Amino acid sequence: MTEKGKELFDKVKENINILQTEGTLEKQFGDFWKLACTIKTRQHDLQYLYDDSSREFVDKYRETLIKMREDFVNHMDDYVEKCINIMRKKNFTVYYAKTNEEAQKIFMEELGDTKTIYKSKSNQAKDIGIIDILKTNNIKIKETDLGDVLVQLFKYELPSFQVGPGAHFTEEEIAAKIKEVYDVDLEPKAHAIVDFFRNTYRKELLNDIKVSLTSANAISAEDGTIVLGENEGNISLITRATEKHIVVCGITKIVPNILDAVLITKLQSRINNVSYNYISLISGPSNTSDIQGTSVQGMYGAKEVVVILVDDWRTKAAKKNLFYKEFLKCIGCKSCIFPCTASRAFGNIFASKYGLGGIAIIRDYIHNGIEAAVEDGLFLCTSCENCYHWCPVSINLGEILRKMKKEASEKGLAPPYLDQYKEKIFKEKNPFK
Amino acid sequence: MTKLIFLGCLSKTKYQETCKNAIKIIKTLDSEFEILEDVPCCGALAYHIGSDSELKTHVEYVNDWFKSKNISNIVTICAGCYNYLTKYYPQFLGEDFKIEVKHLIQFMAQKENLAKLNLKNLGKPLKVSYHDACHLRNAELPVIEEPRIILESIENVELKELDNNKKNSICCGAGGGVYSVFKENSDHNSKLIFDQLKRGKALLTACPFCYTALYRVRNDNQIKKPVIKFEDFIVKIMEGVDPLVD
Ligand code: SF4
Ligand code: SF4
Repeated sequence: MTEKGKELFDKVKENINILQTEGTLEKQFGDFWKLACTIKTRQHDLQYLYDDSSREFVDKYRETLIKMREDFVNHMDDYVEKCINIMRKKNFTVYYAKTNEEAQKIFMEELGDTKTIYKSKSNQAKDIGIIDILKTNNIKIKETDLGDVLVQLFKYELPSFQVGPGAHFTEEEIAAKIKEVYDVDLEPKAHAIVDFFRNTYRKELLNDIKVSLTSANAISAEDGTIVLGENEGNISLITRATEKHIVVCGITKIVPNILDAVLITKLQSRINNVSYNYISLISGPSNTSDIQGTSVQGMYGAKEVVVILVDDWRTKAAKKNLFYKEFLKCIGCKSCIFPCTASRAFGNIFASKYGLGGIAIIRDYIHNGIEAAVEDGLFLCTSCENCYHWCPVSINLGEILRKMKKEASEKGLAPPYLDQYKEKIFKEKNPFK
Repeated sequence: MTKLIFLGCLSKTKYQETCKNAIKIIKTLDSEFEILEDVPCCGALAYHIGSDSELKTHVEYVNDWFKSKNISNIVTICAGCYNYLTKYYPQFLGEDFKIEVKHLIQFMAQKENLAKLNLKNLGKPLKVSYHDACHLRNAELPVIEEPRIILESIENVELKELDNNKKNSICCGAGGGVYSVFKENSDHNSKLIFDQLKRGKALLTACPFCYTALYRVRNDNQIKKPVIKFEDFIVKIMEGVDPLVD
């Protein structure tokens, strides 16, 4: 074990200590998360809103999904080219960014003089480094998903649950925070809190918004349609009321056609037991030809829709057959997080700045290397493969993480006892001797 | 040709009574099975961190040992050994690995063997639950239905499934070598398994790693219902002893 390995091991141990200490944010989230995982896992087997359970729904489409994603990974170039061509014809402004850095640069240029950006929930923006670059440039980031608004209000910086990011704050805590920040007395009840934001923030947003940022649940290569699902209506507002709507996402969001794109969006809603009351299909900027048949962009909706499709590690992983190539199939549904043994036990210390669980740790590895992954709690994973059993496209995250553990071990970053076991097995042919 | 009972390092070191019980069952069913001295470790714990070349060397060493003893069949009593011998040995060795490997539970569940065992619980009707170990449910040839077939065959024993069972079972939190370093994982997850033990009077498991974690967490939480190793349970039934009494 190297010095660095020791340092990282101590860091993870320290994180576990914090997780178990009463009163810390980590403990607060951890306790909430344990409960949430247990409930969520059960909900998959329940008929919730529909005639079938979400597990039955996933099972019904599993084969279609796997085929669809494998086909995409094997013909990534073709799909990307097809998608970009059709999008250009439909008056999207489209960029293909080779790297995250390139995407960040394009993004800042597209942002121009604007100093405030309204955004919806987007892991992709985090992944591609857009959030970091906005922060560096002092651009005001206005979250619009209520959960994220709360996370911002509390200045909560730890990884949180992407689907319900503020769900661990209690009504009392939120009301007290609103009093502290806005000096407004509220009944500590969900409806009062929602009313407060509806009456203040919604108006502010409609008056102020110039540029908005979203990701995409999926993009159809056949007709260049962006699909975005949501509950609150925030995405509908920020994609319509704005001058410019910028979409940033990895090229892996592309799927063959519109039905596939809607299926994937629906699946994400089913798995997370959110109803997606709104699904937007965006095929270009707002447009009218009502004056003498002249086509003019930007009547009520966005004048311009900019799409930045980011490659970064993706083509390389496919072409070079890297060990995490499978991860290209990921549709970002988060199905793998609730049943994850390590996530359940370790909440937001089995996580990275990209979010919770194995997927976020793999992202950290791809962008920041093996040391980052070890610090994120790589060695807390038990290789139970629950992630694999639950993933609708059968990605074996456990196996990808295992390969990462091997790399860590080769670099002297494996925890001390594991190292000793290995030695004993190879030398004495019994780890417990 | 030699038929080998593969005890596994953990059971051999920590659970000798269980080893005796497993041997008793196997010998009852096929007396040709033997115990040999100095059986090497399958290497399971090293799979998470060993490099491919290190592992290949180890696997080849073990296979040579098997060859030197003329081994044709193996019955393992450890879930981990079963998983690794059936998954990674063929992966590294291909055709060169020719041994038929079964887990004790698979072996017992064979029709003729079950008939031979003819298990009856002489005491009061008993409800038990079974915890699916990752090593058995994730194996190349998963062992999922077999324990259920065995339990259902026992007169006066009824299986009460945990909420999370078969492929969706909750991992005890000890796998992947995590137990030796981060026990906190099993603190939570093993407890969750006990929380699902509602109508079952005892929790059965066929994996010594799961057992180790479950046993500790049971004690830490002062849980009354016992966790019992599958083979210990079966032998008590065979001998007409109350399986819930230690
Ligand atoms: S294999 Fe690892 S990442 Fe996958 S569910 Fe198990 S603990 Fe989580
Ligand atoms: S890896 Fe996780 S997020 Fe990705 S598709 Fe599979 S279950 Fe969904």
